[in-house]
Amino acid sequence: MDSQTIVSIRNLRKSYGTKEVLKGINLEINSGQIIGYIGPNGAGKSTTVKILCGLISDFDGEVEIFGKLLGSKTLEIKKQIGYIPENAVLYEALTPMEFMEFIGEMRGLNYEQTRKKAEALMSIFEMKSNINQRIATFSKGMRQKVLICSSLLHNPDLIFMDEPLSGLDANSVIMVKEMLIHLAREGKTVFYSSHIMDVVEKISDRIILIDQGNVIADGSFAELNKLTNDANLEKMFTRLTGNTNHEEKAEAFINAFEK
Amino acid sequence: MIRFILSLFIPFRWFIEKMGADYNQFIRILELKLTLDNRRVNPMSKKAKNDQRNMLLMQSVTMIFLGVFFGIFLSMIKSPFTFYYLSHTFLMVMMAMTIISEFTTIIFDTSENVIIQPLPIKGNTISLARNAHVFIYLALMAFNLSVVSIIIAIVKFGIASGLIFIFTIFLNVLFTLFLANILYLGILRLATGEQLKNLLMYFQVAIAILFMGAYQFGIKMIDKSNIMNMVLPVHWYTFLVPPAFFSGFIDGVTVHQHGLQDLIFITEALILPFVAIFLTGKYLTPVFNRKLMDLEQGDRMTKVKSEKSYLSLWYRLMSMLFAYSKEEKAAFKLMWKMTGRERLFKQSVLPAFGYIVIMIVVPFFNKPGSLSNIGKSDTYLFILYAFIFIAATLPAALLLGTNKQATWVFKSLPILTPAVIFRGSIKAAFSKFFLPFYLIVASGVCIVWGIRVLPDAIIALLVIYLLCLFMYYFQNPLFPFASEKSAVQGGMAGIKVFALMAVAVALGFLHKFLLHWFDYSNLLLIPLYLGIILYVDRVMVYSKISWKGVDRINAY
Repeated sequence: MDSQTIVSIRNLRKSYGTKEVLKGINLEINSGQIIGYIGPNGAGKSTTVKILCGLISDFDGEVEIFGKLLGSKTLEIKKQIGYIPENAVLYEALTPMEFMEFIGEMRGLNYEQTRKKAEALMSIFEMKSNINQRIATFSKGMRQKVLICSSLLHNPDLIFMDEPLSGLDANSVIMVKEMLIHLAREGKTVFYSSHIMDVVEKISDRIILIDQGNVIADGSFAELNKLTNDANLEKMFTRLTGNTNHEEKAEAFINAFEK
Repeated sequence: MIRFILSLFIPFRWFIEKMGADYNQFIRILELKLTLDNRRVNPMSKKAKNDQRNMLLMQSVTMIFLGVFFGIFLSMIKSPFTFYYLSHTFLMVMMAMTIISEFTTIIFDTSENVIIQPLPIKGNTISLARNAHVFIYLALMAFNLSVVSIIIAIVKFGIASGLIFIFTIFLNVLFTLFLANILYLGILRLATGEQLKNLLMYFQVAIAILFMGAYQFGIKMIDKSNIMNMVLPVHWYTFLVPPAFFSGFIDGVTVHQHGLQDLIFITEALILPFVAIFLTGKYLTPVFNRKLMDLEQGDRMTKVKSEKSYLSLWYRLMSMLFAYSKEEKAAFKLMWKMTGRERLFKQSVLPAFGYIVIMIVVPFFNKPGSLSNIGKSDTYLFILYAFIFIAATLPAALLLGTNKQATWVFKSLPILTPAVIFRGSIKAAFSKFFLPFYLIVASGVCIVWGIRVLPDAIIALLVIYLLCLFMYYFQNPLFPFASEKSAVQGGMAGIKVFALMAVAVALGFLHKFLLHWFDYSNLLLIPLYLGIILYVDRVMVYSKISWKGVDRINAY
């Protein structure tokens, strides 16, 4: 499948009060790729994802998704994207089926089609028997699975995932990783924001590292590896974000409680 | 303020340690709980979140203000026994109502467990700190409510009487705390998990109705023409009534003229609260905490019951009638389900059903012969318009819930305006909770007064529906079931409800006036109100509820 630019970000800035969280991000993202979006806590990862999904509307700069300008064509963009938020918080009084029925109907899907798809997706996560149980009774991982299913119901072309593996068991993590690779092969684009370096390293076609609101590295793992000569993404991450003195910090930590 | 409160426990160090607690840990836990209380966030406040540090002080000012009204009433009473009896009854009722309506933040407060439970805390420390926290909460409330009454007592009955009154306020709080423990333990024994949470909710509703009924009948029993000289007689059963212990105690110590009677009251007031607190600390609280853990765990797997077929038919009918677009139908369906399950919503709305029955029934008992002539009167208009009492609870109740961070879902959907969510919500609540009850009563009214009053029933329904929509669309556009009680009930909320009821009363009088003036006025009012409803619901709503306004106060 031919790759084409589907997301174009120009000079994206966002401030909360006096604190500037994004300081002018510029990116072009092509279809059919898995983009690993990494950075330390507070770097601006979730803010970027929320802006791109239309959850935050007051920002500076220009964002085009599928050739449509975010802000004026947000509604049309939202129809083509899926979003998994950072915190797996859902209306607790509902069941997964009810939640997905609502999402499906709001997205204009056929009722029966939504139900069938919801059942099929939940079965993959071995949660078919939980489909009519209240979300209030679910663990964090189970809620995360409901979120993943609901974000894929309408077969989106671009999927934004903010820490999607949070709380998942080992088997589910492997399953989601495989699923992401398959989705990319089908021409879908996955924008994957995470702290888990080894997963990002293994599945991402391109890795974008942001720190303090700026993109500080951008390329495939192989390309970044040539630049830094680090054996893995974790080492690369620590070097690029200027946190190389982990051993010293650990020692200071041990000393602090031994005293 | 927190430091001052904590310093009051210093003289009781010995007692606290005797109860099996570690004093330093006890103080730290209490400090944590009070700090959390003090920083309860009001999302509607314009202040930055970390600036909100004076919630306790603000609550105190509100309580003192509330106490002014009761103080004015008390200032008319001459007899000290009656004065203190009514004061303590007022305090007990206020404390009971608070415990009932705020049980999750008072009795069942487990917010700090995540910090405290993993720590190696000694014996009864957590239990004792929890009780001390509830005690502080109630004592602050009782003291603030009584500030004005204390001043009046000092002026009227002397400084000694006033000081003993303050002492008995704290005894009263101890005793009420004991009663609350017993009551909730009883309920905790009946059920577990989700079942228990529902049981507690219905229990609260029942108690709220009971209080409203008792208040309505109680008010009727007071001889208003002679409040000044009102003297409560002491019967054998007066010795079993808690407020009488404390009023008898003050009376006995300061006046001491009733011999044995004074002695019994003094003994009761001094011994019972301390026995109660000993029993609470030693036996009730440990059981209570164990049960509380079960409550937190809940039922791990709760299946949702399938909706009964007649309800489903009613739902389909209402969905056709009230929801227009595909998106609104989806929101209507979601909210139809959630209104049946969200406890805070039901807890706020259901008591109004009880209140309305009392409001309709009580007037008939007060007027002899009124039942025989009822068919000839205009009372049916009062009955129909009284339903505003239920409808007025819906707009604020729809906001209540613990799903604050779940509202991102609405923003992530491709919907042009959030108004569809709000329209679906209020209509689902109105058609599910209000309409069936109204239709039953309106049918009864039509049977008693004849079919000629049917247009009046339709007009009253339209007025109530219009006011309900109006209030919901014009309040802050917070997404449903995602706001704390303090955020919804603070500020102007009470005044808005009152204004809404006043408008309903005015429109009811207009209705009555037009009926007397012009026989076919109904034919005018029905299309008029229908037109306004359509305008509010299909035009005005979009200018009131936009993404811009919604984004300003909802966090995603």
